[in-house]
Amino acid sequence: MASNPPTPPPGPNPFGSPANPAPPGQGSPNFGSPANPAQPGGPPPGGPPVGPVPPGGQPAGTPGWGPQPGMPLPFRRGPLGIPIPDFSQMPGPGGPFPPQQVPPGTSFAAPPPAATAPPSAAAPAPPGSYTCPWCSMVSQNPGASCPSCGAPVDVRAIQDTSGWTQLPAVKDMARIQFGQSTCQIEGAVVPVADVALDGGESVYFMHHTLLYRDDGVTVGTMRMRGGFSRMLAGIPLVMLQASGKGHIAFSHDAAGEIVALPIQVGSGVEAREHAMLIASGATAYDFTMSGIWFMTMKGRDEQETHFPMGQFLDRFTAPQAPGLVLLHAKGNVFVRHLGPGETILIKPTALLYKDLSVSTQLHFEHPGGTWKSWRSWGNRYLWLRCIGPGRVAVESAFVPVEDPGFDLLGSSPATRRQW
Amino acid sequence: MEAVGQRIECQWCHGQSPAGAQTCTTCGAPLDVRNLVSDSGWREAPRLRDMTEFHFGTSACQVEGELVPVAEITLTPEDGVFFEHHVMLWKDETVPVSVMALPGMVKRSFAGMPHIITTARGPGRIAFSRDQTGELVVLPLQPGMELDAREHAFLLGSHTVQYSYVRIQGLRTALFAGQGMFMDRFVTAGQPGLLILHGYGNVFERQLAAGQSILLEPGAYLYKDSSVQMAVETQKLSTGMFGGTGMHMVRMTGPGRLGIQSMYVHHNTE
Repeated sequence: MASNPPTPPPGPNPFGSPANPAPPGQGSPNFGSPANPAQPGGPPPGGPPVGPVPPGGQPAGTPGWGPQPGMPLPFRRGPLGIPIPDFSQMPGPGGPFPPQQVPPGTSFAAPPPAATAPPSAAAPAPPGSYTCPWCSMVSQNPGASCPSCGAPVDVRAIQDTSGWTQLPAVKDMARIQFGQSTCQIEGAVVPVADVALDGGESVYFMHHTLLYRDDGVTVGTMRMRGGFSRMLAGIPLVMLQASGKGHIAFSHDAAGEIVALPIQVGSGVEAREHAMLIASGATAYDFTMSGIWFMTMKGRDEQETHFPMGQFLDRFTAPQAPGLVLLHAKGNVFVRHLGPGETILIKPTALLYKDLSVSTQLHFEHPGGTWKSWRSWGNRYLWLRCIGPGRVAVESAFVPVEDPGFDLLGSSPATRRQW
Repeated sequence: MEAVGQRIECQWCHGQSPAGAQTCTTCGAPLDVRNLVSDSGWREAPRLRDMTEFHFGTSACQVEGELVPVAEITLTPEDGVFFEHHVMLWKDETVPVSVMALPGMVKRSFAGMPHIITTARGPGRIAFSRDQTGELVVLPLQPGMELDAREHAFLLGSHTVQYSYVRIQGLRTALFAGQGMFMDRFVTAGQPGLLILHGYGNVFERQLAAGQSILLEPGAYLYKDSSVQMAVETQKLSTGMFGGTGMHMVRMTGPGRLGIQSMYVHHNTE
């Protein structure tokens, strides 16, 4: 209980992977970076040494196919104003997958990280207070769970040997405070976020997550830009906003966990589309192009563009006052804190959220002993490379990556590797 | 729980179990945990522990598993159960199955409901499960009770429960309430019975007072006392140049019990 909270890890890195590196030979491959050279268990020895990141973000020898990191994405306006990748402006052959240009074992280098949000943990906590190791928020006498994110205070962090930390499930009936309103998490299989609005706050949400509401809560629409783009991307056209006084509850349609992310002023997170459950009214919402795509050619003239992590990412920031975002994750949630330049490969559809400072790019991997044949996809694995600094969270139940295995015409900045 | 003499009363079904029992012998609810009631008044259905056993008539039911729980029934020759055939998981070879005669086969066919309801009689074992993560809701029914459940939500009923179906009143409610045209209705006449539902996700129950109402997402409705009235309300959501869309909610008005599930198919917002 609250009388004996776990000791939070020191420093602004509550999730601890740099402080708990994977033992040699264990964990996920670490391809190295200037700040975090390759570890045992990473690429096989004998490859070129890891070098610094050149301006532009990609080392010499990486494929010069498709747009390069640092280069503005070649989008053009298509019908209805939809941004469409413009491959005519891309360097590279623009044809089938180019021949291998990188010797096995070559390490890529990370592009420079995006604008870094200020670290979430700031001032030292006053004596007797509790600093949540998950959200870094400080509270007094939190009881059984952190009032800012609902994380239980009486459980120890579960960290695997590779540095991923399992997010502790919010306990049944735990309460999260935002402003004068509260949110109670109910259930453990498909949890419900039951928000008690006090009249001064509001929350916004996608309409299909609404479970029930009291009569005292009024629901209206929240205008957003880019209606056509959202419609074509399969994202709801409108966001609904609830205000007033009373209870309103939300849930998603899959077994999983609710993740509460307090957003401090000046910081923000990006979440995969459709993961959002609610956000408090103080949280600014925007959506941004994910910038992760590839195009395939089926037959002679059937081109298709794929967005393996969705066409857009939801972006939540807190410009003036602290905000709160609740996400629904399918399955369990695991969080990792990447150091500057540190990288990890994840399945694109497994991404749940990331800090704004974490940048991403595609990575194609070809397993050894395979060859390209007609409509064969088993020879190509698609990864999303996340480059620190910042948090990356994945969900354990995710849909398979959409890759039909057809010839690649091009992609967003990507690297590839033949084993 | 409440101790009544040397007995313990279950707060979920109000059945009485011997003192010292860990779970209710009538519904399987844990007796050694407190009720989980939210600030808004919803009570979480008891999470049945793995391998919990409870009794109905002279037969027994054991709940196995926690993610997609299985109801394993040990039938005596005096008892039987009825169910939709696609929820059968396994059975002893000796358990005879037959069909229950139902009126309105054409209507049921149009409504997407099973044409037949299957029955099984003892002696022997037969097990049932559904196809999604969720929990079993065990509802012992006292004589004279009427309970409505959304179609395809019931896992099994004991042979003492009368099964029928009712047409949902009002075209608008039938079209937009996410229920289809019919609801299953379970009635106990002279004898008590047992009804087991499968709720997707977590299940919550609320007791609505007379005239008290709440607005529900249509897909969340799981069961209700027949005294609870349902009607659809539509809110127009304007989206500027895109015209508009309608959000349909179901208003449930008491008195009576109302059960909801937290995972649902979003049926009816365009």
